[in-house]
Amino acid sequence: MMSNISFRRGTAFKKRFRKERELWVWTILAMIWLVIFFLIPLYGISYAFFNYVPGRKLSMEYFVGLENFRAFFKNPNWIHILRNTLIISGLNLSIGFVAPIILAFLFDELANINFKRVTQTISYLPYFVSWVVVASIMTTFLSSEGIMNEMMMKLGFTEKPIGFLTEGKYFYGIITFANIWKGIGWQTILYMSAIAGIDQELYQAGAVDGLGRFGMVWRIKLPSILPTILLIFILSTGSVLNAGFEQQLLLGQESTRDYWEVIDTYVYRYGIQLGRYSFSIAVGLMKSVIGAVLVVLTNHISRKLTDMSIL
Amino acid sequence: MRESYIKDTTASRIFDVFNIMLMLLLIFIMVYPFWNQLVVSLNEGADGQKGGLYWWPRVFTLQNYIYILSSKNLLRAVGVSVLRVVVGTVTCLFFSGLVAYITTIKWFSAHRVLRVVFVLSMYFSGGLIPTYLWFMKLGLLETFSVYWIPGLINAYYMMLIASYISGLPDSLAESARLDGANETKIYIRIILPMCLPVMAALAIMCAVGHWNSWFDVMIYNPSGKWNTLQMLLRDILIKSEKLQELMKDATSGSGQVKAMAQRITTNSMRAATTMVVTLPIVFVYPYFQKYFIKGISVGAVKG
Repeated sequence: MMSNISFRRGTAFKKRFRKERELWVWTILAMIWLVIFFLIPLYGISYAFFNYVPGRKLSMEYFVGLENFRAFFKNPNWIHILRNTLIISGLNLSIGFVAPIILAFLFDELANINFKRVTQTISYLPYFVSWVVVASIMTTFLSSEGIMNEMMMKLGFTEKPIGFLTEGKYFYGIITFANIWKGIGWQTILYMSAIAGIDQELYQAGAVDGLGRFGMVWRIKLPSILPTILLIFILSTGSVLNAGFEQQLLLGQESTRDYWEVIDTYVYRYGIQLGRYSFSIAVGLMKSVIGAVLVVLTNHISRKLTDMSIL
Repeated sequence: MRESYIKDTTASRIFDVFNIMLMLLLIFIMVYPFWNQLVVSLNEGADGQKGGLYWWPRVFTLQNYIYILSSKNLLRAVGVSVLRVVVGTVTCLFFSGLVAYITTIKWFSAHRVLRVVFVLSMYFSGGLIPTYLWFMKLGLLETFSVYWIPGLINAYYMMLIASYISGLPDSLAESARLDGANETKIYIRIILPMCLPVMAALAIMCAVGHWNSWFDVMIYNPSGKWNTLQMLLRDILIKSEKLQELMKDATSGSGQVKAMAQRITTNSMRAATTMVVTLPIVFVYPYFQKYFIKGISVGAVKG
């Protein structure tokens, strides 16, 4: 009896394997790819605790514990970097967050469907071009011979051309404008679809109650899409340490570094340009860990408040 | 629908006028920077330095374009960019789709494990430096392969394609299986053609991403051997000596080109390059934006 069953199991297994053989080949290839391009780089994070030098075999004698993490805080620069990251993120989360919501409501009030569609489509344009293009255009506009200075001198706002890109104090404003310009149209999409999903009966009820146009927005539309707004806001606060890096690298100049260096660009500079691998991995790891905690935390808050979450 | 609930008051009409004016301003802010670059790129460089170029080229010329398109470096960058878009998009969609298909075959023992492993890979990453060091060890630096092999299987695309495949009827695949076709063949002949709508949408997302990327070019190809068009534009923007380099490259040509070079400035040249990078996007994005929007909403539901 026993042997009979195990014999039958054996052939079933063999039969099954033969049927699945081809799929196993692909699965194993996919797994190998995943090991090479996902798992091994993940393992590389451990270099943060060593004094890693390429080409030298890594052994426990180069283990330095948290030395690389401490080194980050020893250099007084870290305050600048954290400040820039939080300020740029903060501007994106405040002005940059409200702007597309207002625009979505303005789009929604357009009566002419074709005009609305064309305007929306045009507002998406900057989203599709690269940061290189945006930075190139902004540099042309804001240079000392650029249109911006030309206009301001013609209108008598200033005598001499202003160094918008060479003086650090303008940087936060410029990068916030660039971020909004590039993303505002695109970010209206989720809000527009939330507004479109509002129950028509609510408007009917509102009309019975004598609500005007502004009242409809304030009393019906805004409260109806509030969960969407809240969800997006809570989730974006989770990525507060991601202040972008392409725009900083392209618009920032040596003279304005104190205003644009954020964690990501710091990691890039120390790791790839200066070759301090272990140190920059440690900084990147710190950022990722704090970022992950924030995402989990905000996700939890979101679930509590709005019943919606991404994790 | 909305109109029926709103009384037509004077205030309401004033608001409409105000709103339309605001939208015209928005259109201006979104379009004018590109228009201005077009004007600068079509104007003679030396003349453009006098300023005052707003709406229309003053001294019309195609020189800037003829000039940059006679640069071997630039033409090569165009070639690399196009190759990257084509190879990157085709391979990524083919293999992401293949893995997606395998995760939807319910009788395959590992279909769930495969899915879970790839989904998990979306939430973690080694980060910039460990990846860079590993690629260096692998010999991926200074190669074209670094543009497409690390992106061969995109877990997010895989999820979207898998959810599309699960919505398809399996009778076709089943009958092909009975006829003795193997799974790879079923994927290529039956599943892929049926996935065309989702594949088209993802292809566009993927292609735009490849066309626009420059950061990986900068870190993985520092010598500039596999420079893409975006990277070249970035070099012209950041490094002033890059322009001279390109000019030398072009001025080794005929005397006519040399004479041209003197009337070209950094600004006019950068504007022309910006236009070469941007125009393909400007012409196609109005048609493909709806696929992107679909991508967002699918992602929002699935996520």
